[in-house]
Amino acid sequence: MGLEVSTPWQQVLDKIRTWARVNSPWAIHFNSGSCNGCDIEILATLTPRYDVERFGIKLQGSPRHADVLICTGPVSLQAKDRLLRIYWQMPEPKFVIAVGSCGLSGGVFHGCYNIVHGIDEVLPVDVFVPGCPPRPEGIIYGVAVLLEALKSGKRPERTMTVELPAGFEMPQAEVRQ
Amino acid sequence: MNLTIHPLIVLLFFPGGLFLLASGLVFQWADRKLVARFQNRVGPRFLQPLADVLKLLAKEEIIPEGAHRGLFVALPIIALAAALTAALYVPMFGVQPFFSFQGDLIVTIYLLSALTISLGLAGANSVDRFSLVGATRTLTQLFSYEAPFLLAVIGPALAAQSWQISKINAYAGETTWFIVAQPIGFLVALVGLMGKLELPPFDAPEAETEIVAGALTEYSGRGFALFRLSKDIELVIGLTLVAAFYLGGIANPLDFVLKTGGLLLVMALLQTAFARLRIDQTVGLWWRVGALMGLVQILAILAGIYIRQWWL
Ligand code: SF4
Repeated sequence: MGLEVSTPWQQVLDKIRTWARVNSPWAIHFNSGSCNGCDIEILATLTPRYDVERFGIKLQGSPRHADVLICTGPVSLQAKDRLLRIYWQMPEPKFVIAVGSCGLSGGVFHGCYNIVHGIDEVLPVDVFVPGCPPRPEGIIYGVAVLLEALKSGKRPERTMTVELPAGFEMPQAEVRQ
Repeated sequence: MNLTIHPLIVLLFFPGGLFLLASGLVFQWADRKLVARFQNRVGPRFLQPLADVLKLLAKEEIIPEGAHRGLFVALPIIALAAALTAALYVPMFGVQPFFSFQGDLIVTIYLLSALTISLGLAGANSVDRFSLVGATRTLTQLFSYEAPFLLAVIGPALAAQSWQISKINAYAGETTWFIVAQPIGFLVALVGLMGKLELPPFDAPEAETEIVAGALTEYSGRGFALFRLSKDIELVIGLTLVAAFYLGGIANPLDFVLKTGGLLLVMALLQTAFARLRIDQTVGLWWRVGALMGLVQILAILAGIYIRQWWL
């Protein structure tokens, strides 16, 4: 993903790479202290009725295999370090989708003493899916929005600095356009 | 069908190399699509496996702490090389195998086992507990299905009086299909193949609900892509072997497509119909039922051969 994309060969390679990335988003699902409502909706999304394998979406168990972190909940202080750990275990390029009102602002837990109030306080979130809980259609739409953004080469800017848990070293991040 | 092609083309494009990789992807797609249709889903698109592999190749590869670096990088390559080499001795796409010698059946089976062993080593080469449990299960499963599968493959070899895959293939094409003469062997071979490929119901080594992703938990990017590719090629080789031995040989490309496709259909049905077995149930099934059935089959064949010699 060099900045100096100039030769036609590199452009073709980049096109292929984007195509593959857009067509095969593998997801990992993490519950950072949600009430479980959103998680049940995510599981409903993965059932044969909605059949997300049509779009190439596959739920992976290991963060090492995943591209998209689908995250729910208001990030309780307990879950925060685990969430970061999962995030740093994923290989680049990686994307985050926050599902549910809790992930946006804390939702019904807003004002609680033991939460961080939203996933974007901890991680750079690419897509927010509102709802309490959002319907499976909403979650699929969220993924579609992310893929659409990837296709056009855009990507929600990452301006956040991410706080690392002790003992973790920041991998050398690549510069992306 | 007999073709004469330059060995380099054989190795790089057809029927080795690129063509083999492509067919592995096609078979993976067919398998996933069939399972999806059996589950009343639409299933993945045709280019899905290709997109998966390209995406994985373009991703970052993380080498975890505590793993031996050289081994971590080399094992996926060894696995893929073993799978690609094994394919050279098998009548792929109905073309005569290009490298053939007396005893290549044994070599092929060992190469396929080398793939599984590198999978197990990849899991053991890690401090991650899920990888370790996955590696243990992979190797346990290897020890349980290998003997029955070998017994099932030896059946046609004994009948054909040869250890050469191409000769057995030719012999199978001349006589009645071995699935009629040795139905038990066919059953054991088919189910053994499913165990070899770690397909459900024998997917305890990579049970994602218990041990994340088994031996490959720590693999990302390139390594994972290569392991997936070698699994796909193993699927093609396994289907070709069983079809060549039990379904009347593979003489031309049409034969290849029809027979392996039919086998894949049955395997997809079995995958959908059964739930995952625990690893101890897998071992029990193989040693108590599979191996015994294989032995009975072998004894029956030997008796048949002696009786025939005695009569003639
Ligand atoms: S958004 Fe609603 S359903 Fe989802 S975790 Fe929060 S409270 Fe539960």
